Amino acid sequence: MKKIVEVKELTKEYKNLKAVNNLSFEVEKGEILGLLGPNGSGKSTTINCILALLNYQKGLIKIFDKPMTPEAYDIKRKIGVIFQDVAVFDELNVYDNIDYFCGLYVSDKQTRKKYVNDAIKLVGLEDFEKFLPKQLSGGLLRRLNIACGIAHKPELIILDEPTVAVDPQSRNNILSGIKKLRDTGATIIYTTHYMEEVEILCDRIIILDKGSVIAQGTIDELKRLAKIEEKVTVEVTDLEEKYVHKISTFKNVESVSYTGTLLLITYKKGKNNLLELMDYLKSEGIKYNKIFSERPSLNDVFLELTGKELRD
Amino acid sequence: MTVFKAYIKVLLKSKFTILLYTVMLVVFGILNMQMNDTGMNYTSSKADVLIINDDENKGVTKSLIDYISSNSNIIEIENDKEKISDALFYRDVNFIINIPKNFRTDFLEGKNPQIEIQRTNDYPSYLAYNLLSKYIETAGYYLEFINDENQIIKNTEETLKTNTNVEISSKLDNDGLSKAKTFFNFSNYTMLSGCIFIICLLMTVFNNEKISKRTIISSTNYKALNRKLMISNGLFAITLWLIYVILSFIILRKQMLSFHGLLYIINLFVFTLTTLSISFLLGKITNNKEAINGMVNVIALGSSFLCGSFVPIEYLPKFVVNIAHLLPSYWFIISNGKISTLESFNFETLKPILFNMTILIIFIIIFTIISNIITKYKRKIA
Repeated sequence: MKKIVEVKELTKEYKNLKAVNNLSFEVEKGEILGLLGPNGSGKSTTINCILALLNYQKGLIKIFDKPMTPEAYDIKRKIGVIFQDVAVFDELNVYDNIDYFCGLYVSDKQTRKKYVNDAIKLVGLEDFEKFLPKQLSGGLLRRLNIACGIAHKPELIILDEPTVAVDPQSRNNILSGIKKLRDTGATIIYTTHYMEEVEILCDRIIILDKGSVIAQGTIDELKRLAKIEEKVTVEVTDLEEKYVHKISTFKNVESVSYTGTLLLITYKKGKNNLLELMDYLKSEGIKYNKIFSERPSLNDVFLELTGKELRD
Repeated sequence: MTVFKAYIKVLLKSKFTILLYTVMLVVFGILNMQMNDTGMNYTSSKADVLIINDDENKGVTKSLIDYISSNSNIIEIENDKEKISDALFYRDVNFIINIPKNFRTDFLEGKNPQIEIQRTNDYPSYLAYNLLSKYIETAGYYLEFINDENQIIKNTEETLKTNTNVEISSKLDNDGLSKAKTFFNFSNYTMLSGCIFIICLLMTVFNNEKISKRTIISSTNYKALNRKLMISNGLFAITLWLIYVILSFIILRKQMLSFHGLLYIINLFVFTLTTLSISFLLGKITNNKEAINGMVNVIALGSSFLCGSFVPIEYLPKFVVNIAHLLPSYWFIISNGKISTLESFNFETLKPILFNMTILIIFIIIFTIISNIITKYKRKIA
């Protein structure tokens, strides 16, 4: 597979802080790479270094096999960026905003017109072309922000937390838009601290913490890093300690905790665990409201590797 | 073209502001022109004089009173100290002449009797003082050679009747040029306000941190884009200048179709470029749309007041004029004043105007250098 982005031993330091520490990774053509990490883990700094917006002390960044510099306009032509903050002109309507930012890459008027219309269609803003940004809802504004970043049909798209403070409906819309972009052949780097998004969207994930890679791979590869294979949650009231103790002695059980009305059991291996537990609860006459089984999430992986939650 | 198109679209959002300043120029410019009608139309004026005569009303005394009366407005006030003092305070009278007892005999005997006067120290009071001095000096001159009182009076009155015709040889349309000066002086305020407001607004829109970031990562050269913005700002300022020139032709056609008019236009052009450089500098400093109104008020209003855009500079206190020397508006307004009094056009007469324009160009260079330093400093931080 062709490498679109190569980052080698990237180190970015501020006065007393190593924001990115010896970071290396590659992005292959057509894949969606997720950069996952809590706030302050170095995701945005990495993106800014890739885009030559920030100087860095050490490392090499190549995009489309060429070193990335502030003057690498031929490379920049093929990159589209969507930042967390909406960056549009309040004074221009939806169409004119997209046309302006597309015009920074595409000078031919006819081509630009087609590209702008394609972008409007992609993000579903056909009915809002003449609207000013202040007339759009938060979700529609985000969609406009995305359209401004991708209208010139870039081969590499970098999305830096595009769904922060977005309502669930708009978030789904944005995520499906990103999938459409991938389907058109674009390579995507997606930074977020929402693990659900990377699970839905990304082919490969890099988990960052304190500027360093703590794990990388496909979702399955990462989940294997967690020591558990299954999590069972039971909503039950007034469960006596002896039952909790008994459950902890079951086969494959890694840990048992009972807080409030929630009984949480994690299993090292994941076969027939739920059935065994339900049989036991029935045999003891313990009544419960809900019981459900889950595969370990990326948060569990993060917890396992760092000892803290992703959203701490 | 994309940048220029967006610039025009953002600019058109402020069309009412541009229109407002243009209307202000027309309305206040015309009003000011009518109020400051400083043409060379001469009218005679007379002082309000009170004469208190303690002497007999005959001979030299009578002649003196007649002479003063025929050249002044004689005011009748009761001979009461307090009432006379009030009349002087309220300017009901400009000059009070107190002719002492035995003035006539003392004068004829060459004793040089003193006439007590009280005055308001304004122009009419000087006029009355001159009348009095002129009569006493002339009569005193004849007293040295003639002993006959009647002859002295006759000679004095004949001498004082002599008039000299004064012809003003200037061919200047002083009234029209003065109106043109007033119009262009007022354009100092509207040009500064319009340019600073619009250019700063557009600069804050295009230099918005988030939009700049998006522009820097694009395949458009950021320096080239800045250049396009500068050219767009320049085109806007020149358009504003053109509008003002057209307005001046509509309002002051006769004066504008002369060499004076051409000089006014050139002077305004140089000042427009200075305003452009000030606006560009301010646009670099501020990223806050809310601050623009404040800047317009401080800079445009402030320099217009200090430099004589609203009130003629001759009326301003010396320390204010000294401060005004530090502002470009001063040199623009001073040039307008010099243009309005130009009798002939050669290097010598144009030298002061060219000197003022050179100072404006120096201001442009200084502001541009500061803008570039700020741009480089900001880029370093990014």
